[in-house]
Amino acid sequence: MQSSNENPGLNEAARSAGSLITPRSDFIAALGWIAFGITVAIGSWNMDRLENQDVPPYAVPGLLPFFLGLAVVFFSTLMLARAWRQGALAKDAIQAAGMSMAERKRFLIVLSLCLTFGIVLVGHGLPFWLAGAIFVSATISVLQYPQRRAANQVVRGIALSIVIGLCAGFGVTLVFQEFFLVRLP
Amino acid sequence: MLDGLVSLGHAYLALLLSPTSLVLGLAGALTGILVGCMPGLSATLCIALLTTLTVKLPANEAILILVCSYVGTLYGGSRSAILLNIPGTAANAASCADGHALALRGEAGRAIGIATSGAFCGTFFGVVCLAAFTPTLAKVALSFGAQEFFWLALFGVTLSGTLVGNDPLKGWLMGALGLFVAQIGEEGIYAYDRFTFGLPAFSGGIALIPALIGAFGFAEVLTRLADPVERKLLEMRDSIRPRFGEVARYWRTVLRSGAIGVLTGLMPGVGEDSGAWMSYAAAKATTKEPDLFGKGSIDGLMAAETGDMSSIPGHMIPMLALGVPGSAPSAVLMAAIIIHGIQPGPMLMVEHPHFAYDMVAMTTLATVCILIFGLYLVRPLLYVLRIKHSVLMPIIFLMSVVGSYATAWRLFDVYAMLAVGVGAFFLRRKGYQMAPFVLGLVLGNLLDKSLRRGLVLTDGSMVPFFTRPICIAFASVTIFTMLLYVPVFNRAVHRVADAVISPLKSLVARRG
Repeated sequence: MQSSNENPGLNEAARSAGSLITPRSDFIAALGWIAFGITVAIGSWNMDRLENQDVPPYAVPGLLPFFLGLAVVFFSTLMLARAWRQGALAKDAIQAAGMSMAERKRFLIVLSLCLTFGIVLVGHGLPFWLAGAIFVSATISVLQYPQRRAANQVVRGIALSIVIGLCAGFGVTLVFQEFFLVRLP
Repeated sequence: MLDGLVSLGHAYLALLLSPTSLVLGLAGALTGILVGCMPGLSATLCIALLTTLTVKLPANEAILILVCSYVGTLYGGSRSAILLNIPGTAANAASCADGHALALRGEAGRAIGIATSGAFCGTFFGVVCLAAFTPTLAKVALSFGAQEFFWLALFGVTLSGTLVGNDPLKGWLMGALGLFVAQIGEEGIYAYDRFTFGLPAFSGGIALIPALIGAFGFAEVLTRLADPVERKLLEMRDSIRPRFGEVARYWRTVLRSGAIGVLTGLMPGVGEDSGAWMSYAAAKATTKEPDLFGKGSIDGLMAAETGDMSSIPGHMIPMLALGVPGSAPSAVLMAAIIIHGIQPGPMLMVEHPHFAYDMVAMTTLATVCILIFGLYLVRPLLYVLRIKHSVLMPIIFLMSVVGSYATAWRLFDVYAMLAVGVGAFFLRRKGYQMAPFVLGLVLGNLLDKSLRRGLVLTDGSMVPFFTRPICIAFASVTIFTMLLYVPVFNRAVHRVADAVISPLKSLVARRG
């Protein structure tokens, strides 16, 4: 265990290139946590106390969430103080390294594909096997496109990803729905 | 005692005389090993997906598959640790250093053989402890009241936040977040909707399985697919036969690591990786060859594998006896057991007196299964490691969507899984661990009900929460651990410790 004032390594570690966690990133996160904790505490305090049902004040529904909100504020204040002592507000404070351009691009593509599948394609009339096949084929095609283009195999890559997508869509539907009788979206 | 042995005998006979059970056990273990082989796919995700797949099966058959897949996943995780230097599951991280070093020396087969024998011995040791301690602990837990359960839940979340990861403050924040998320929806005493913003979909709350699939499945899919680098697999040319000769040679390590694994397993929410790391550290501290650690030490690899596998039955002990899971995978296992109509906790031995022994028999079968697959299926299973992430992860996401939807048939669960996954992806990058969040999510209801019931029983008095014997122990450890992170308190504790220890040291030095 490391106590808050026995963590000098964090600043040094943060100075190494590419660190995702720095005192400044912790400081900003702590502010977010404090805001969250205060919101939870206020929401719990304002929650119905069910006095019309003769519920005593120590059994109201908002009791535990209120204390949880306070606990979040307490811990995040400690984190804020620690980050401040470690130089989060210093002029030469290290910024947390974000994703590289290539990583960010892949992340955004994957996130959009997954959200499109989960929110738009699933549960809105399209058979699950077809939605699944479209998602898997599209994801594989998009992610493997740079390598396939470099190898001059774009058409082959797309064809292969369609085959994999159809197999995945049918396979998952068959196993879950037909063998194990699980209802699919 | 005699009743227990008879029940255990019945459980073993029922399992061994049922060909269906044997086939399902083997299938579960094989699925687990395949999932464990693939870096990033955790035991939690495997059990969560299999829970939805097996939801229509009879309770014992479904739970058998889940137990075998749990053991199989952690065992399978050593493959990628040894051959890719990427742990298949978090619990196999301690095996990376020595296992991969052996593989680099051309002894990958030997490393896998040692991992197999360590895993077999560790799980078997844990099974013996599971059979011996679960009924006893359940009897003790019968004396627990609301106050004890309140502290037990809080102690579990705090301990998990303290021990998992490098930053307890972040661990506790995640624990508090998990506890908060568990409060969303209709609460259990007055059926009042909390934090639902008037939306009916929120009334059912954030279900555990979709949340876990999001935290461990979707977040992993995003992490792996955002990274364009594919790791190179090392070749394996030597024999993969399990090395029981080396077990005999390192018997002290096996016994010590087995005991450490079970003990860490008993701690709520700590996870299998702690069992592995603590066993590894203990082996390093006691070995005659500490310089070899990290460079291909047999002792180190044996300790890590035995420690992580023996913690599996260790985690099942508090899960069954107290209803408090020891790790994220055991939390899902507990949820699955509840889905199948069996409530783990102090009343388990009263309501389902044979179930704990059934679990012992199931875990024994899982142990035998991993030995069989360790002997005969190592090389074919390694083809799984050659599948590209860009092919595997979209299929995993497809199953994650099905898994989230299938338990309650609500599209809201799919959206919850997506939201938790995106949140977990960013939080993990900033050093926040998911295990305390999971434990908070599991124990949130218990904490809420215990607090309010305890207060109602005492007419609003907090005194019994701090004066009942078991409460005193849990409360002091929990509060002291948290206060250690308050700088003023920490300095005061250090001053007191110095004031007590310095005179003792000088006294010892003078006598010496």
